[in-house]
Formats: sequence, structure tokens, C-alpha cells
Amino acid sequence: MIRPILFILALSSIGTAYAAIPVKGDAKKGAAIAKLVCIACHGADGNGITPPNPDYPKLAGKQPEYLLKQLKDFKAGKRKNDIMAGMVANLSPDDMANLSLHFAAQKSTPGAVKNPELLEFGKKFYTEGNPDQGVPACAGCHLPDGSGTTVYPHIAGQYSSYVYQQLKRFSSGERDNDRGLVMQSLSLRMTDQEMKAVSEYITSLK
Amino acid sequence: MNKAFLISLSLSLAVLSSAHAAPPKQPKAPGIESPDYAWDAQSAEEAQLLKMKGDVENGKIAYQGCQGCHKPDASGLSDGTYPQLAGQHTTVLIKQMSDVREGRRDNPKMFPFAGKHVVDTQEVADIAAYLNSLPLPGNNDKGPGNDLARGKALYQKDCVSCHGERGEGNAGKFYPVTNGQHYRYMVRQIVSIRDGSRRNANPKMVKVVKRYSTSDIGAVADFMSRISPLKKADK
Repeated sequence: MIRPILFILALSSIGTAYAAIPVKGDAKKGAAIAKLVCIACHGADGNGITPPNPDYPKLAGKQPEYLLKQLKDFKAGKRKNDIMAGMVANLSPDDMANLSLHFAAQKSTPGAVKNPELLEFGKKFYTEGNPDQGVPACAGCHLPDGSGTTVYPHIAGQYSSYVYQQLKRFSSGERDNDRGLVMQSLSLRMTDQEMKAVSEYITSLK
Repeated sequence: MNKAFLISLSLSLAVLSSAHAAPPKQPKAPGIESPDYAWDAQSAEEAQLLKMKGDVENGKIAYQGCQGCHKPDASGLSDGTYPQLAGQHTTVLIKQMSDVREGRRDNPKMFPFAGKHVVDTQEVADIAAYLNSLPLPGNNDKGPGNDLARGKALYQKDCVSCHGERGEGNAGKFYPVTNGQHYRYMVRQIVSIRDGSRRNANPKMVKVVKRYSTSDIGAVADFMSRISPLKKADK
């Protein structure tokens, strides 16, 4: 009885960066589910809805590994969100893989900058971080163009309101499904102004 | 049901019921302040790492989590906030990362991104192999250049026997490559080694730099920052 519990705890806390497992499935089947389940909030192509809602992020062009992890985490309650918990309740593992491949294959639309005066500082923060406070540059993991990797998600063009809201949730601990709690650690070191500016810059990335 | 089971069950329930996970704090292990300190004693993980073969390609991927501070070319930051790491000895990288991971080198800034909760043992070996494979950038921060004769004299008298004519260090003895390191980083480290706040220091070096004024430290670090660049550190 002891071993399974310890084993589960160990599994939930450790991960190897380059061990991202490629997602296998059928994007066409995913597209069919998206039209039934996801369309109202995320749009059929995963570019969200108009006007943008910070609760409904763009999913188009994100890495399938990232999308699948989030769906699994919603289902397992590791990423807590009442709406998404309801949405994923009836999805099978195959459905989630197929949806991830569908949204990953869509083209992300450019974001709309609302506060251009924040872009200069946002760019500086994105590319340099804040060395005094020990905040790494966002560009280190998410790459200078925001395209990300199989470990760190694509964020270019994401709604600034969603990015800002997620940074707030990481810093409060409300969202704690990030690998090694790295996002939580760094967002705790960020000011509100830095979060606003970098969110705006991320929206501007193409 | 035995006692161990009950303890592990209550621990796991405590984990599950806590509202949010919080990032772990850096542990604090005994260092130079403790009586039985041996500066190059190896922890279990460090001994394992020193025997492992790191994979350069995987290290390049794992290093993505480091480059937000240390930069894609691993040249760090010229103001000395982050050191230059490219071409550093694998042994030195492993020792220093282990010391941060296990709390013998206090670094609360770095720990959330380098602790065992986020970087596993194989990744440390891979990151060290990758960094060692990189060419030295050779564009490091230099000092003011106004006291180089004294800096050279101090270096030749006190430092050269360990750190080498050109700051090439010694991989087998865990002495770092200092060639091409940022002046302000070296000043900061020598001061903290002198003053005891770098708790994983070599007592031999502490003894040498105890006698140094801050201007002595500036002079020797300035000289070191200007030694003609090495292209590639020896292995």
C-alpha cells in the first residue's frame, strides 16, 4: 500500500524537460469535437471570440504537447477551472489528443495591442527579464518570437488580458500546474506594471 | 496497517488538501562555517554526476530553462549579475550546480530554476556537457584598467598556481576557468569568498584573499578580466 502512494507523489513532482512525448491522434476528429464543444468560447479555429475574453484564450498554433497537458490537468483537477472541468469531463484521452492536434494545426491570428505605450518596456522585460529581482527573460524559454518549444508553450499573439490574468494566477498560486512551479517563482518577483507591459508585448508578437 | 503507512498517507493527504503548491525554498547545508567542512567533499548526487556522461544535444534543450538569465550564448550579464559559463569545466559546473541544489552555495535567485524539483540529475549532467562545449565568447566586462601592474603582481604571487597562467583553471581540482569572466562578477565573488558569505569556498583561497583590501580585489580581478582570451578551455 505504501509504494503506490509514494510512486504517485514522485511522478507528480518530477519531469524531464526533453521527455515531451509526441501527441498521436487525428486532427480531423478533433475538428469535429471542436465544432460541438469548444467553438462558443475558443472559436472553431482556436482563435477565440470577439470581443476577447480573458477567460477564453487563443489555442491556435500552440504546441499539441502543451494543449494536451492542459486538457489532462483540467480533467485531473491539477489546473482548476470550473468551466473547463465541465467541458473535459466527457472527453476521452483520444478526444483530448485529437483536439490538441486540431488546435495546434490552426494558424494563430495576430493580437490586437491596446496600450502601445507599454510595448517598449514590455519588450525590454520580455528580452532581458529583471536581473535585480532574478526574473529570467521570457525569451529564454518562450523564445524571442514567442513561438515556444515542446516544453514551453507558444504565446505570441495571445490576448494580453489572458496573459495578464494567468501571470496573476501564477503569482497567487491559483494556477500551479507549471513545471517545477517555475512560472509561479518568477511571477512572484514581478510587479503589476511588468505584468501589464509584458502581456501587451506578448500580444504584439507574431 | 503499519506506522510508516499511516505517516505516508497523512503526508500525501496533506499535500493533496493544501490549497496551492508553493515553490520549494533553497535548503541550507553546512558550509565553510562548520568545523568539519571539506570544500570538495562530494554529495551522493555530485559523485554520481561526476561519473555520468552528459549529452550535449539534450543539454542544449535543458539549457533553455537557464538562458533567460545566462543568455543563449551563456555569456551571462556584463554587470556581473550572472556569470559567463561558456567553456567552463564540466566538473566546476557540476560542483557549483550541486552546491546550489543542495544549499552549500546560497543562491535564492537561481534555486527556483535549478533545484531538484525542476532539473533532474541527468539534465544537470547534460547542461554541464553543453556549456563545456560552447566557445568562450571573449567579450567579457573589464575593469577600469588603472591598476594593472599591481593586479598582475598579485595574480602571479597568489593566484597563478591554481588558476593558471591564462586563467584556465584545473578541471580535476574543480578550479574554474576565470579567463573571460566578467570583472564585476569576479569582484563580487572574491569579496563574498573573503567575507565568508560564499559558503562553498575553498579555505585555501579564503586564506589568501583575507589579506586583500577591496582595491586589491579590484586590481587582481581587472588583470584577470584582461588576460588574452582562451578559445576553448581544456577538458
